[in-house]
Amino acid sequence: MTWWKLSIKEWRRRPLRTLVTAAGIALAAGSVYSLLCFERGYRQGVAGELDRLGAQILVAPKGCPYDAASMALHGASWPCYLKESYIKEVRTVPGVATATPVLMAAIYTDESTPTVYLGIEPDMVALKPEWRLEGHFPRQADELLAGSEIAFHRGWHVGDQITLPGHNGQTAQISGILNPTHGADDTFLFLPLSAAQRLFHHEHQLTHILVRLNDPNQLDDTVRQLRGCDAGLGMNVIPLAHVFHTIQSIVNSTRSVLGCVALLAVLLAAAGLSNALLMAVSERTTEIGTLRAIGASARDMFGLLWLETLQVCLVGGVIGIVGAFAGLRGLESLARMQLPFAPTGAFVHWQWWLAANCLGGVVMLGSLAGLVPAWRAARVAPARAMRTEI
Amino acid sequence: MTANGSNSDFVLRAAALTRIYQRGCEQVRALDHVDFEVRRNEFIAVVGPSGAGKTTLLHLAGFMDSPTSGKLELLGRAVSDLTESERTRMRREAIGFVFQHFSLLPTLTVAENVALPALFARRPCQPRANELLDRVGLSHRSAHRPSELSGGEMQRAAIARALINQPALLLADEPTGNLDLDSTHQVLELFHRLNREGLTIVLVTHNPLLGKAAGRTLRMASGKVETDGLAVGKEQRGRAGGKILIGAEPK
Repeated sequence: MTWWKLSIKEWRRRPLRTLVTAAGIALAAGSVYSLLCFERGYRQGVAGELDRLGAQILVAPKGCPYDAASMALHGASWPCYLKESYIKEVRTVPGVATATPVLMAAIYTDESTPTVYLGIEPDMVALKPEWRLEGHFPRQADELLAGSEIAFHRGWHVGDQITLPGHNGQTAQISGILNPTHGADDTFLFLPLSAAQRLFHHEHQLTHILVRLNDPNQLDDTVRQLRGCDAGLGMNVIPLAHVFHTIQSIVNSTRSVLGCVALLAVLLAAAGLSNALLMAVSERTTEIGTLRAIGASARDMFGLLWLETLQVCLVGGVIGIVGAFAGLRGLESLARMQLPFAPTGAFVHWQWWLAANCLGGVVMLGSLAGLVPAWRAARVAPARAMRTEI
Repeated sequence: MTANGSNSDFVLRAAALTRIYQRGCEQVRALDHVDFEVRRNEFIAVVGPSGAGKTTLLHLAGFMDSPTSGKLELLGRAVSDLTESERTRMRREAIGFVFQHFSLLPTLTVAENVALPALFARRPCQPRANELLDRVGLSHRSAHRPSELSGGEMQRAAIARALINQPALLLADEPTGNLDLDSTHQVLELFHRLNREGLTIVLVTHNPLLGKAAGRTLRMASGKVETDGLAVGKEQRGRAGGKILIGAEPK
């Protein structure tokens, strides 16, 4: 017989009540964990996505900057275009280290996801230092660089002559295949810019320009100068850090609302736990009196009740956190439909430290909720074990 | 010198023991200047009508309550000198309790119930629990739950639990109150055996059979000891060579 076993047996005596109490704690722990896990995963996902883009500034046609950022990151057909001549002006602005032009187009075939083509120039590599490729960068009009994922799914290898998806009769040779980047680049097809312009009938047009700065701290100055140049009226200069902060602030407001709901769940769970324990103490007054009479000290009774609290908190917390993680994929899909911007790929990942912190928090709060019942149990007089006759 | 570290021949001594309860604006004098002594190896039955003060006496003797006035000593230690934790330790180490309703935890097996006081004493318990179950004839029931036992078996298990910490004094509150005649005889026989082996027993009962079976009977009424002497049916005389051990005069 051990204290731990004694406590577990007590919870097993009233399985339904234990189940309901643990479910309340699981709900609270799950809410907190999913909220924090989602928030952190989303923030990291967006930051990583923007980082993988390799640019600090996105120059796009006039319109909504967030739509433009989303299209540039995830791939889409653009509704309007920039003049190719703008690139020269952008490149001459002080502080600009690299400015690379892009023409993006998406072809919707029978498949659920579109095939995204990017017309690029070799200086794109300067923006993507993490790129590793098998083969070489396209040098000729009929060469193509494929993202790792699309190449894998279509069974392409370097040197293969392929028919361009969505362009029947047009062929190209795979000059290189990107190693996985874990971003949208894995699903893109990269052509030389001029070849892409011809393929999509947008000669001398661009969808966007990616700009990398000599010094990211000079972002505001460079943005001001880009907006002030001759081409400034015809293009939308979007500092990506600002986009990130704006997206983050939108998500933060949602998080605050959800945080209040999670906090409410936690408080309700704590109240439920406290109530269940108080009921248990009340129902077991005679029994606790008996334990006191046969030698349990007040501290023993306090410890026993506290142990019961700890056990139900641990069980509820673990179930809640694991369950929440299992359900987070669904929440992620739902969020993708609602959020103004969602990073490519799964952004919710299991995080041990977060799970441990949530479990620790739940146990701590549960322990606080168990203090009053434990104190009441400790105060039961041993004489309660006896008949009340005097 | 005894196993409990006391040189005294008395397990329990009370002098002018008084307990007054406040019930609303009314004062209830549950015990009124009671004097008594319990020697080692005595088997005492406390009898009397409801409200006589028997249970209050048991509460005080078991260190579960404090007297309003008077003096009470267990193994030479006065209850008034003890802190709450010392009283708990005395209850755990020196006293075994047997209750009318057995008070076994329904979630534990018989063996676990018996071992419980040893858990509170932070002692290894299972071998001693098995030995005690053997002594009370319940070794075959050790893995059973209390609900699977008869009343007599539950009470024997409760007695085994009371003995696990090797107490000097066994206090029993109506131990046969919920038992049939056969079980009552079994429990009574067990008490006799334990008493013969050296255990001091004080029990509160309405059962005349137990009253007769005990070596000495305290008859209580209205918070006082009315008579103290050998069991009913035997000559009313004091123990220990005719010396009256109880302060209250027999009526």
